[in-house]
This record gives sequence, C-alpha cells and structure tokens, in this order.
Amino acid sequence: MRPRSALRDLERKIWLRTFEHGLWDVALGSLFLSFGLSIFVDFAPLTAIWVVVLFPSLRDAGRRLIIPRIGHVQFQEPRQRANTRLIGILSVSVVVGLMAFLFTAWASDGTAPTWALWIRGHFAGVLGMMWGAMIAATGWLVDFPRLYAYGALMVVALWTTDLTGRIHLGVSLTGVGAIILCVGLVLLVRFLRTYPKQDPREGPPHA
Amino acid sequence: MPRRSEGDFAIDRVIHEPARLMITAHLYVVDSADYVFLMRNTGLTWGNLSSHLSKLEEAGYVEITKDFVERKPHTMAHLTDAGRKAFDAYRRQMKALFEDLPGEGS
Repeated sequence: MRPRSALRDLERKIWLRTFEHGLWDVALGSLFLSFGLSIFVDFAPLTAIWVVVLFPSLRDAGRRLIIPRIGHVQFQEPRQRANTRLIGILSVSVVVGLMAFLFTAWASDGTAPTWALWIRGHFAGVLGMMWGAMIAATGWLVDFPRLYAYGALMVVALWTTDLTGRIHLGVSLTGVGAIILCVGLVLLVRFLRTYPKQDPREGPPHA
Repeated sequence: MPRRSEGDFAIDRVIHEPARLMITAHLYVVDSADYVFLMRNTGLTWGNLSSHLSKLEEAGYVEITKDFVERKPHTMAHLTDAGRKAFDAYRRQMKALFEDLPGEGS
C-alpha cells in the first residue's frame, strides 16, 4: 500500500534521514579514493583491501554508531529494494573499476582493435561518463539526491583529465574520492553531535 | 474494541489522541520501527511512548515484537492490518469532516 500526500512526505523525510549520517558518502568516497590511489601508485590490491576490510568495517560502524542514535527502522518493500540496489551498484562499481584495469592492459598489447585504442586514448573521459552515469542513476533509483552532485563531479573531473591531458587519472580520481569522503566525514561528525547515543529508558535529549 | 466518540462522526479515539496519531502515522509509512526511532521522530519520552504503544497494542492496532540483536534486547513495533485499516478509516473520516465544514466563501 503506497502512502499519499503528507504521509508520503513524512515517509520521504524519514528515508532521507537515513542518509544524514554520511556513512554512505564515506563508503563511496573511500572506494573512489582507493581506485585513484591504486592507479596512481600502480597497486591494484588497494581496491581489494577496500572490499575486504573497509566496506565490512563501515557496515559494522553503521550498526554501532547509527542505530543506537536514531534507532532502527524497516521500510516498506520498495525502499528495502532500494537499499539492496545501492549495495548492488557499489559492488558493480568495484567490478567495473577492476575490469577497466584489465581493459587497459589488454588494449595496450598492440593487437587491440581501433575502437579499443580510441577508448584507451580517452580512457579517463569514458570512465568518467560511465561512473558519473552510474552514480546519478543510483541517486535516482534509491532517491538519494546527493548522488547527482557526485555523478556530476565525477564527469567533470575525469573529462577535465581527458581533455587537458595534464592531470594523472589517479590524481583526479583520488581528488573526487577525497571530496566525497570529506563531505561524508563532515556529515558524520555533525550527525554524531546532533544525535547523542540514546538509552531507550531516557527521554529524547531534544524533546 | 477501541472506543469511538458518539454522533455521526464515529472518530476512533484510540488513534485521535495526538501522541498516538503521531506514532500511528510513523508506523503507517514504514514497515516497522524500534523505540529509539519512534522516540526520536515523535519527541515522546520513553514512558509516554511505552504507555501509548500499550494502548495501541490493546486495541489490536500495533504489534510489539521483542528479539535479540547482537545479544541486546531489541523491541520493534509494527502496525497490524487492523491498525492500517483503522488509520485509513480515520483519515477518510477527518477528510470528510473538514470538507463538510462551511468555508470562507460559502
């Protein structure tokens, strides 16, 4: 059953509040930061470290930091699917990033077709469009408006890298990741200050 | 059975009380929520929330489930089908009530 009008606004307000803590931004920012650093220092396992260590730690931090402060809410079916989509798209981003590494290795061996060489020549721009579109689509799918800005930032940063040819792809990707990570950390600190840990037997501090 | 007011508009008083209306509206738009979430979002104290949830539970509108999450007790509340229907009926009644009142231009 879909809520309507003022009730729909209430539901959306509750939904957006679940993104207020900034942990999703920290996850996304650190993911692109790890991609950028792995390109810059040419050490691909950095991304694997993110997948194996950082992402589970952030999920654990969510359980320890967020739920005791704002409580636990289970949304209705359409929203629950959105959360699964968000995790799914983050996973796809990791796979696409890793495949991009493999693609550049394949396209540089001399036997690659012309189109592959063109993509390799505009690798930063193509990657920027792909990730930018993916991030913006996620924002639309899960109703998380900040992602539109992050998608635009990704496109602008990587196209600038492609067009100028002066900035290393790793540096611009690290920059995008660092900006998103900083936004997430600012939101997280603000969230922790606004919502102190709540003992259910006490009244709410702002009541 | 929930108490209802007399007259043509049989307003459901279990839902009509402001604190309970807030709780019911929040539970209507989500699937289920715990005490901390409801306290944060309604501004009620633990005692108040607990007492109003008990009344909603007595009326059969809310179901309280208790389980353990990471060895900590976790209490979740969700609106039953009867609660959802009662809230829908309440909305319709209130809408009809205000639509039937004479406005400025009438």
